[in-house]
Amino acid sequence: MSFSTINSNINKNAGDSNNNTTENSSTTDLLGMDLLQHAPRLMSTMQPNNSSDMLPMANGTNLVQQSATNNNSSSANTGSKAPANEFVRKLFRILENNEYPDIVTWTENGKSFVVLDTGKFTTHILPNHFKHSNFASFVRQLNKYDFHKVKRSPEERQKCKYGEQSWEFQHPEFRVHYGKGLDNIKRKIPAQRKVLLDESQKALLHFNGEGVNPNSSSGALLNESTTELLLSNTVSKDAFGNLRRRVDKLQKELDMSKMESYATKVELQKLNSKYNTVIESLITFKTINENLLNNFNTLCSTLANNGIEVPIFADNGNQNPAGNGNNPTPTAVIHNSTANNASPTTSTVSLQMPNLPDENSLTPNAQGNTVTLRKGFHVLLVEDDAVSIQLCSKFLRKYGCTVQVVTDGLSAISTLEKFRYDLVLMDIVMPNLDGATATSIVRSFDNETPIIAMTGNIMNQDLITYLQHGMNDILAKPFTRDDLHSILIRYLKDRIPLCEQQLPPRNSSPQTHSNTNTTNSNPNTINEHSLSLLPQDNPSTTTPVTPGASISSAQHGQQEQQHQQLFHAQQQQHHNTARPDVSIPSLEHEINTVPHSSMGSTPQLPQPTIQENQLS
Amino acid sequence: MSTIPPEIINWTILNEIISMDDDDSDFSKSLIIQFIDQAQTTFAQMQRQLDGDKNLTELDNLGHFLKGSSAALGLQRIAWVCERIQNLGRKMEHFFPNKVELINTLSNKSVINGIDINEDDEEMKIQADNTHADSIFLILIAKALNQARLEFKLARIELSKYYNTDL
Repeated sequence: MSFSTINSNINKNAGDSNNNTTENSSTTDLLGMDLLQHAPRLMSTMQPNNSSDMLPMANGTNLVQQSATNNNSSSANTGSKAPANEFVRKLFRILENNEYPDIVTWTENGKSFVVLDTGKFTTHILPNHFKHSNFASFVRQLNKYDFHKVKRSPEERQKCKYGEQSWEFQHPEFRVHYGKGLDNIKRKIPAQRKVLLDESQKALLHFNGEGVNPNSSSGALLNESTTELLLSNTVSKDAFGNLRRRVDKLQKELDMSKMESYATKVELQKLNSKYNTVIESLITFKTINENLLNNFNTLCSTLANNGIEVPIFADNGNQNPAGNGNNPTPTAVIHNSTANNASPTTSTVSLQMPNLPDENSLTPNAQGNTVTLRKGFHVLLVEDDAVSIQLCSKFLRKYGCTVQVVTDGLSAISTLEKFRYDLVLMDIVMPNLDGATATSIVRSFDNETPIIAMTGNIMNQDLITYLQHGMNDILAKPFTRDDLHSILIRYLKDRIPLCEQQLPPRNSSPQTHSNTNTTNSNPNTINEHSLSLLPQDNPSTTTPVTPGASISSAQHGQQEQQHQQLFHAQQQQHHNTARPDVSIPSLEHEINTVPHSSMGSTPQLPQPTIQENQLS
Repeated sequence: MSTIPPEIINWTILNEIISMDDDDSDFSKSLIIQFIDQAQTTFAQMQRQLDGDKNLTELDNLGHFLKGSSAALGLQRIAWVCERIQNLGRKMEHFFPNKVELINTLSNKSVINGIDINEDDEEMKIQADNTHADSIFLILIAKALNQARLEFKLARIELSKYYNTDL
């Protein structure tokens, strides 16, 4: 039964009893003073006008109870003369007549009776003899008359001959063939009092229709059925408090659960939308990632293709710069300038071939590439294979370059520490140190010199690795003369060979030859000291540094500026015989252990792995 | 694995080198001679690895080395076999074709007339030694090395014909 149902019952009952009460007190004398004495408390609320005539309530006894009693007594007057404990007597008769031996019967000693089958008792006996609708109600009524259930332990219950499900009740005065005892069986009182006193007014009003005071004079007049009804309902009052508390508690818990469930629902929706957002951004991210990957692959393949195929050059300058044949190669310059001193050359493959008579014989091959490449670029070739060395240096010389060769990564590092080159061609797989690692070390002190990887490994992953190590480009092996030429054009076409870079004199302190602070200074800055040491045979008429049209011209401008200073510093070093780190001409494969000299090692930030000119 | 080129020599590459002879009449020939020396040395080093250290990384490097110089000269069949040795040394490949199969790919099969294709085959000592962890790769490299020697012999015949000298 729900709380609200109970409430409505209460109100209904209360309303009924109020009506009864009002009716009785105002229209009949039947009630007498007994009632009126107890009436004012109720009347004051129900009928204020009448209440002023009432006597004050004499004792704590409740009007409602009296009113109910009265009500009952009137019905009792009209009914049969039933004894007060008709319920017990009816039960006694059934047992004495042994009407339902299979359902209910005396126990063997006759001091108690047993209900063998509560189910059949409920379906067969209760409807015919009692007004109880269920067995529990019947048991409560028994309890009211101070019957007690004979309790059994689980073992006893199992052994009980009446069956496990049997209910045995006993009362000291309720025995077989002992009709006299029935007079002594009476209803208990205290429990009802207590309930009545404890209940709220509403509950009292409710009780009005049901409650009974056995002590009242009219108690004996109650007929059995009414008593049963009232008593059974009174008992439910007892439970009502508990029930209401439980229901209240349950209601609270339900409300809380509802709130929680709602909060959870909201939370779930939030999470769901968040999840969808995350999924969407993941998908977006994946798409972007794939696009980037595709772009990157395209870039890589383009780079690889550029390393193999001849790129198209827009420039259509002259085939040969005027007077190129008259310019001494840088190697020649160095050798001239160091003729009286220790040679700085670290590698012994002597490749300088100044004023080759057949230089122009190469130009037909380059006719497709209508780009001018100046003569005199100094190239460091890092390669361990003799055949490749010969082939590559032959090609380079055809293009007017001077070549120096080292055969492993370590030699390359030590050579680049001491000397400047216009370009470095670096094999990857070499003894002692591979080209990629060597390049990354070189990049720690030289970010300017272009370093080109020469390799047969042109897998995308390899190419990326090389670029990440600071290499500028890749020349795929085996390469043709034109492949090499395109690389030279790409990195040197707007450059002036280091050996030709000559700078106008400028007054400055000797200390300024350090190139650590060149960013804002004039590119032509050079100190007098180093200038004075310039070899006399160095070409004196050189075009000034002019940034080319390439995207990275600004970078090149700075690069050239450094190249100039380094070159002069180099010259200075060559003249300074006292310098301990100038090495004696060494044999091929020798690894120079000259300490890192100050002239070439500007601390520089790592250079971006992919340069602008590669992207263009 | 790519297929072996049918031509022994890529003449596009070699002709470019030969064209450099203008200013140095023996330039290309000297390169070829240098290569022949280099190839023989490398073959011997490979054989030493197969017989001794059985170091796959070394075999990879030797294969890579000879691949570079042979490819630079246009000796593409040798370069192809060297690439197989390199990849077998890296355990990237698990197969090497039979000699007959490879000979059948030659565009000019007449070149094999008059030579004993099994003459230079080194005994595969590794085959008896299956206990080595990399024996599969070592056996395949030994097989490839024999093929490389054969291809080298064929290239040498071709080059000797061209230079009209016994190279």
